[in-house]
Amino acid sequence: MSERYFQHSYSNGLTLLGEKMPGMQSAAMTLLVPAGAASDPPEASGAGAVLSDLLFRGAGPRDSRQLTDYLDSLGLQRSSNVGVHHMRFSCAAVADKVVEALGAYADVVRRPHLPEDGFRAARELALAALAGLEDEPRQKVMVLLRERHFPWPLGRNTMGRKQELENLTLECCRAHFGRMFQPRGTILAVAGNIDFARLRDEVERHFGDWTGQEPAALELRPPPGRFHHEQHASEQTHIGLAYPSIEETHADYYAMRLAVEALGGGMSARLFTEIREKRALVYNVWAGYSSLKGYGSIMGYAGTSNDRAQATLDTFIVELHRLAEGIAADELERARIGLKASTIMQGESTSARAGAIAHDFFMRGRIRTLDEIKNAIDAVSLDQVNDYLRRNRPGEMTIVTVGPTPLRMGG
Amino acid sequence: MPLTFQHQQLANGLDVIAEANADAHSIAIGMFVNTGSRDEEPAINGVSHFLEHMMFKGSEKYTWQDVNRIFDEMGARYNAFTSQEMTAYYANVLPEFTQRATEHLAHLLRPAIRQEDFDTEKKVILEEIAMYLDDPGHRVYEQAMAEHFGEHPLSQSVLGAAQRIRELTRQQMQEYFARRYGPGNMAVVATGRVDFPAFVELVERYCGRWPRVDAPRRYPQPAYAPRRKSLSDPKLNRHYIMGFTPGPSAQDERRFAARVLSDVIGDSEGSRFYWALVDKAIAEDADFGFYPHDRCGSYYLSLTTDPDRAHEAMQIALSELEKVKSDLNDDEVERAKNKIASSIVLQGEIPLGRMRAIGGQWLYNREYRSLEQDMATLRAITPQSLRDLMREFPFEPMTIVELGPGKA
Repeated sequence: MSERYFQHSYSNGLTLLGEKMPGMQSAAMTLLVPAGAASDPPEASGAGAVLSDLLFRGAGPRDSRQLTDYLDSLGLQRSSNVGVHHMRFSCAAVADKVVEALGAYADVVRRPHLPEDGFRAARELALAALAGLEDEPRQKVMVLLRERHFPWPLGRNTMGRKQELENLTLECCRAHFGRMFQPRGTILAVAGNIDFARLRDEVERHFGDWTGQEPAALELRPPPGRFHHEQHASEQTHIGLAYPSIEETHADYYAMRLAVEALGGGMSARLFTEIREKRALVYNVWAGYSSLKGYGSIMGYAGTSNDRAQATLDTFIVELHRLAEGIAADELERARIGLKASTIMQGESTSARAGAIAHDFFMRGRIRTLDEIKNAIDAVSLDQVNDYLRRNRPGEMTIVTVGPTPLRMGG
Repeated sequence: MPLTFQHQQLANGLDVIAEANADAHSIAIGMFVNTGSRDEEPAINGVSHFLEHMMFKGSEKYTWQDVNRIFDEMGARYNAFTSQEMTAYYANVLPEFTQRATEHLAHLLRPAIRQEDFDTEKKVILEEIAMYLDDPGHRVYEQAMAEHFGEHPLSQSVLGAAQRIRELTRQQMQEYFARRYGPGNMAVVATGRVDFPAFVELVERYCGRWPRVDAPRRYPQPAYAPRRKSLSDPKLNRHYIMGFTPGPSAQDERRFAARVLSDVIGDSEGSRFYWALVDKAIAEDADFGFYPHDRCGSYYLSLTTDPDRAHEAMQIALSELEKVKSDLNDDEVERAKNKIASSIVLQGEIPLGRMRAIGGQWLYNREYRSLEQDMATLRAITPQSLRDLMREFPFEPMTIVELGPGKA
């Protein structure tokens, strides 16, 4: 492919991606299994959340403690979590140790023990996390926003639902594992100090004979409604809002990203300038692009005192509509250098690159090189951005608030 | 990835330090000031953090619009942070913006503090305080620090209380700035793709005329005691517990061992707390960590649990702290060391990560430590080092603060 980027498809449907990063001692791995919360069984929201914990409670030749001790002895900085589309497993360490860990990760996704006592604890922890969400209105508002903005099951809370978690059984988790954990659509990406030929053979050894049926496609249902207020005796009113945008593969993608950067990127971007710097309505305000496959969206947040919440929401919406009138040349140039610099600096982190190439492959079926991204950002003209904005005025907004008093929405 | 360190002091006493990495794609530049909430009189508590915000409101030459615009014209990753003991301003930029970023940070640190901007930003600070009131983890942390340090200035919150902030005047802030900000009480730090002689010239050009300040810090002895405090808030669903107990200071050689010991006891996975509490779902979060300060230090314990199991979880955590004193084993120490070694390697690859580490180290100790030195120190730590440490700092007395929904 090139001297830096590598790709290999195995006959079972697994894809291996690699990026060789000069000067690095470390490597980072991202493994995406298409078993995200969207594919939780219809009446078992949270099965994936429980499973992502349970998978590490013993796998292959190691019991729970042996497995954890082994991964720790390699010095791995690791995490695993459930997203909408995928269950994600990540780790980073000195490069050799990451390659050495592949066998244990193969055990986790192919040969987990899924024990009864571990299941009860994992379910308890999932319920605890859900209860804890009630204490954090800033997080909760975004969960509620996703539920109302995206079609079901894409908007599902990845942490699950209380009632369904309480009724969840080990048999259900085991069946879910059997259905979802298979190589087709699974992406394994490694970035850093790598030898791709060796990596390819190691992955073949650990994952080459993995088989399974591709799960059925999701059936989507429209989201429940555009406006919602959740009563909460909080200090601030937490506001989340969202509206549809284009997909990552759309020809206008870079023009859109630059426009969003001008809206909510740096401290000179519009939201920060108008809502925080000029009016001092908030400490925290942001907006960004959210890329679910098939459902690109702009999502935003603001947190503010209750007596100033209406003014904050109104100003936020005015700014979203004003963006459609276009941005100025200097705003575009700041957005451009901002996006380019963060792209270049991403090249300093093995973890960031492993995550990025895996994401690219899922969204586009290929890796974008850092040069391709830089060139694409450079190629966008002001006319293209403003033409895009004219043609893509903010559509129907989904607005959710968490706080003591409801606000007027969409008025 | 050879990293080279250099240091030079300007005539006005300003320390300029750099760790160059020819493989880096960017440069991180930080201005570290040896000041924070512990250096505030109680009447002006919160001024360090508020002042950090005011730095972005412009100098005599620039308005707040200019400040933000110029950073964004460089595509900089920039921000600032304030702690009990340190305030730092930084920009991570592509190498071609080294001159402009240095000049701009220098401007930032000579703020105009205009009355109108002061009044506007005060509202933002009050919003930030309100935001943290919606975060029970932060509430219990602030209370636990306050109880643990009692009369000691480290007890003061970084944000300050809302009423104090409302009463704070621009004159008080000006006065605080004049006596805390300047050469002699700060360091300019660069990491990543940096040409040191050229960088020193830039700092000389933009900061060379800053007047030296003499900004002593008070070091009273903390009066530790096993304090307990229970707070309730009926709207909460979970129970939050935080404990503090003395540990080695930021100057103490044993701080490296303290970090290893903390990971053995309370890392988020694979630690003693993990197996005793999280694995069994008695607590969903159970951390034990180490928090070095200037000439004193703390370990902390942090638990989140169901309100009905809070007492049980706390008893288990305390008994684990007793048990580790007698049954520490070689394997768990080795695993903790391996995890820390990885984090040292990963941090070394990212200029912003190194900038924070080097800047902090310099303020505390006027000392540079290379990654190799850190690695060698880490390797030399043995289970016996941890046992010795636990005899010196036996996890008592411990202050414990709890926050939950209250009795049902």
